Amino acid sequence: MNPPVTIAAPTSAPVTSSSSATARREDDRMNAFTIKISDGIARVLIDLPGEKVNIFSAEVVAELGEVVRQLQGMPELRAAVFESGKPGVFIAGADIRELQTIATRSDALAKAQAGQRLFQRLATLPMPTIAVIDGACMGGGLEFALACTYRIVSDEDKTSLALPEVTLGIIPGWGGTQRLPRLIGVTAALDMILSGKPVNARKAVKLGLADGCSARAFLPGAVRAFLAEALTPIGSTAIVARRPHGWRRQLLEGNPAGRLLLFRTASAQLVRKTRGLMPAPLSALAVVRETISHELESGLEIEAEHFADLATTPSCKALIDCFFANELARKEGVLSKGVAEGKSEARPLHAAVLGAGVMGGGIAWAFANHGMPVRLKDLAWEAVAKGLKTAHDYDQQLVRIRKLTPAAANQSMLRISGTLDYRGFSAIDVVVEAVVEDLAIKRKVLAELEGGIRDDCLVCTNTSSLSVSAMAEAMRHPDRLVGMHFFNPVNRMPLVEVVPGQRTSPACVAEVAGLVRRLGKTAVVVKDCPGFLVNRILLPYLNEAARLLEDGAGLAEIDRVIYDFGMPMGPFTLSDDVGLDVGYKVAKILAAHYGERMKVADALRIAYEEMHLLGTKGGRGFYLHDGKEALPNQELINRVAAASGRHPAHGSPIASDDIRDRCLLIMVNEAVRCLEEQVVAKPAILDLAMIMGTGFPPQRGGLLHYANQLGSRFVADRLKQLSDRCGSRFAPCQTIIDLAREGSPFPT
Amino acid sequence: MKERLAIIDGIRTPFCKAGGVLSALTADDLGAIAIRELMARTAFPPGQLDELIAGNVAQPIEAANVARVIALKAGLPASLIASSVHRNCASGMEAITTAANRIFSDEATAIITVGCESMSNIPLMYGRSMTALFARLMRAKTTWQRLATWASFRPTMLTPVVGVQVGLTDPVCGLNMGQTAEILAREFAVTRQDQDEFALMSHQRAVAAQARLAEEIVPVALPPAYAQVQSVDDGPRASQDLAALAKLRPYFDKLCGTVTVGNSCPLTDGAAALLVMSERKARELGLSPLGYLRDYAYAALDGRRMGLGPVFATAKLAAKTGLSLKDFDLIEINEAFAAQAVACERAFASESFARAELGRTQALGQIDRARLNVNGGAIALGHPVGASGARLVLTLLKELRRRSAKRGLATLCIGGGQGAALALEVS
Repeated sequence: MNPPVTIAAPTSAPVTSSSSATARREDDRMNAFTIKISDGIARVLIDLPGEKVNIFSAEVVAELGEVVRQLQGMPELRAAVFESGKPGVFIAGADIRELQTIATRSDALAKAQAGQRLFQRLATLPMPTIAVIDGACMGGGLEFALACTYRIVSDEDKTSLALPEVTLGIIPGWGGTQRLPRLIGVTAALDMILSGKPVNARKAVKLGLADGCSARAFLPGAVRAFLAEALTPIGSTAIVARRPHGWRRQLLEGNPAGRLLLFRTASAQLVRKTRGLMPAPLSALAVVRETISHELESGLEIEAEHFADLATTPSCKALIDCFFANELARKEGVLSKGVAEGKSEARPLHAAVLGAGVMGGGIAWAFANHGMPVRLKDLAWEAVAKGLKTAHDYDQQLVRIRKLTPAAANQSMLRISGTLDYRGFSAIDVVVEAVVEDLAIKRKVLAELEGGIRDDCLVCTNTSSLSVSAMAEAMRHPDRLVGMHFFNPVNRMPLVEVVPGQRTSPACVAEVAGLVRRLGKTAVVVKDCPGFLVNRILLPYLNEAARLLEDGAGLAEIDRVIYDFGMPMGPFTLSDDVGLDVGYKVAKILAAHYGERMKVADALRIAYEEMHLLGTKGGRGFYLHDGKEALPNQELINRVAAASGRHPAHGSPIASDDIRDRCLLIMVNEAVRCLEEQVVAKPAILDLAMIMGTGFPPQRGGLLHYANQLGSRFVADRLKQLSDRCGSRFAPCQTIIDLAREGSPFPT
Repeated sequence: MKERLAIIDGIRTPFCKAGGVLSALTADDLGAIAIRELMARTAFPPGQLDELIAGNVAQPIEAANVARVIALKAGLPASLIASSVHRNCASGMEAITTAANRIFSDEATAIITVGCESMSNIPLMYGRSMTALFARLMRAKTTWQRLATWASFRPTMLTPVVGVQVGLTDPVCGLNMGQTAEILAREFAVTRQDQDEFALMSHQRAVAAQARLAEEIVPVALPPAYAQVQSVDDGPRASQDLAALAKLRPYFDKLCGTVTVGNSCPLTDGAAALLVMSERKARELGLSPLGYLRDYAYAALDGRRMGLGPVFATAKLAAKTGLSLKDFDLIEINEAFAAQAVACERAFASESFARAELGRTQALGQIDRARLNVNGGAIALGHPVGASGARLVLTLLKELRRRSAKRGLATLCIGGGQGAALALEVS
């Protein structure tokens, strides 16, 4: 292939109104940009050679500087139009890899300031500039577009404008926090900046973020017409006047009292949503509040300072690592790419789900919601109806938040058909088994199933604690059985553990990983050990919380400490939600396999075996779920205290530090064991799985990142100390001891 | 017909009284549910289908060409063509016979046919005066004109036109379907007692047939609560007796009529779907069809006596095929009204009727009630107008198989003055 021909206007090109002038640049420095001048209008095409998307890497930013310099040298130009050569993408944002390499605060500051200065030069060009946005326009890309005089969008689905910086633990650092509020108002700007959520073309026009909108097919004409208007003094005034100036905005933002109210509300909302645990959105809010009445120049300075403060924080690093782990998981899931893409993506998939419980119903929903017809089999129609109800509820949740139209929900429900037998299973391509967690029953079901399906039908099991290999023994074709462990509730939990058994073929694993992707979820391939990855690490934590209860810590207190740490809920709330029957069953299976360190806590045994508590679904668990607010189950607390020979009133208070470390470090210890046993291929994937599977706070980056923040020495010492005091289950595993001795960090 | 049409398999939803358990489902939902189940059970590759033909009477306003909507909702390929057919109460049969025509003129090899109706969802409409008012409002340009238009509003304009009522009235002769049944009751002297006894028989047979009928029904979990599953037809009453039927007042002729809601079919929701292809194609694919359509006939008559449609259509079918009533092991006459069904029995048996009306020298034949509507009929099971024709075919074929019998006759009277007769075989 020929190298891309880069054409740019010579700086001294005579610009006439009739002739078009293009020329080849002398040096080869400019790759991403092509400038074409015609009729006094410069068209700058942004098209990174050899890339799928346009991103602002340092190199591209430098080239943009050159483009701006050239435009500055041509004051006779009437306008400059920026367009992307990539289908579906305008500019996807700054290069996150470069963000990852920022080492010091001054590096970060320099990076922000360089971008800011460049965009300032762009904003102050003598001619008007127009960004033609047909596709994704993210982060630095949107900040670039904001520095242009006007923005025109296409109404394609892919057109999407966002400042997603806070999701990476930083704030927009190239003027985004300054130009966006000035353009669309503080309220709308905060909505975008604090959430990082994208707006589509329609919304962009409504907000005044875009000055024009056109179908892609008519975009060139629309740009011409827009230019014709913008290049007249009356027209340009009219365009600016057309930007919305709602009375509400005036009322709220036009005076100090209104602004005070606005920022108070925003701050309260933010704290409620992030519990004050996410530094980036808080900082973004502070920047906007502080700079709203400043001049742009000084506002930019403050923005850069805040950006620099955040860019080197552990939470920023953690979120960026998490982003890359996610990217890795996308690829990692596919062992042999050809198989997965060639087969599972191409053919229309007919699915079947065995067992219509909450999980079965949820899995059926996932298939139906992604356009795949699914047979939902159970033993009685009443059970099937329950599964349909689960799917219907998940659909309706989406309808309520307008993520799904009622018509699409109706379609999705019609894709699920109930059955009590295996009639017609010869047309099924993939079966997911979600019957009761009992090896004998599962084996029987799988053997039965194989009588009704084709030999090339994929079989998955949604077991959470049983061995895939053991299950496969009952099958004629054990190579096609793959563990496909969804988490509850299926509609909310993004993670699926893909578990190959001993005899599973790699092609089947790849197909299941591909299928998980088709269901919009993230696949993590893990080893077939009891509890797999997530539950194996999570159960010791739930167990330890129960032991803390035995040792006299307050039930609500334990939950609060853990919640404050950033977990989405405390361990007892989680136990109640999962169901004490389910939790106890899994705990016993893990105890049987891993022995002493996972011995089931007495409190769990008392709750389930003696008091027959079921958790939220039964109305009573660690909490009483009768009224509006769940109250700690005092009877259970008393019984647990009595069993451990303590008077309930005389529990020795346990320090929050101890509560936190006992709950979290026991997980760290197990996580490192999982690495030792290669339960998961990469440490980054382990962290990602804990974030996605348990809601471990992403800004802490997962268990291993968290352990690193503590330091391997501290972790090892603390575990030893806890081991002496509370029991050998805390004894640090060999890897932790080794890391501490070498003073090395945990692998991440 | 030279070759027979193979009916590979069929499935239907339960038939349930309108305004009842199935009312949250539209006609297209019901059709889609039946077809999805049919496709799942037969495991027939959707890519090998050539068309979907849907019979439906009320034509839901939100689903123009209901056939295409059903096809897409049932998950059939987007490339599948689909057309809707309408022959009023015989629309479900019309779908099958249209499919036969398509297949035997080599335009298609495999077709899904469906009959569906949601009488629950037939809308009420604004009348002429209110519609005219809206039209004037739309044209009004000034506020004054608008106000003047509103001034002509009278509350009576809001009286709705009940779609179902209008639909069940013959616009040419002006008679409601029940009134046509009253005419037949008088012509054939079908007494109230005769009618009620026939209605009771329908209920008793349908109740006794519940398990058999279940074989052709896909249970439907009822949205939006999904707390209940409907797996049987909800019309048949085990407790029905003559005394209760006798207590009902005549509905259509309150003064001296005989037709009551007890001896008429109820308004009903339901759908029935069939997979059809040529006999040759079925053999090629190694399929064992449920049965075959050997031939069929439609006939027309005076709309005021539309209930006699089965007699006229059967006479035409007999002339066409040489088959006589004796050749049929089982007979279905759709029970729009007991008066109408009994009138048909009598017309079938009457030589003078045959001479005067059918141009035959002999009566078509006496129908033995032991062979007639053996699993009950529309009076008990209900009559979702667009679906009934398909159900008759499905129920009859299944029963022929159960009895190892050979041939059956499915007939149906059609509002507006037509009749349909289908000769079906299982071997």
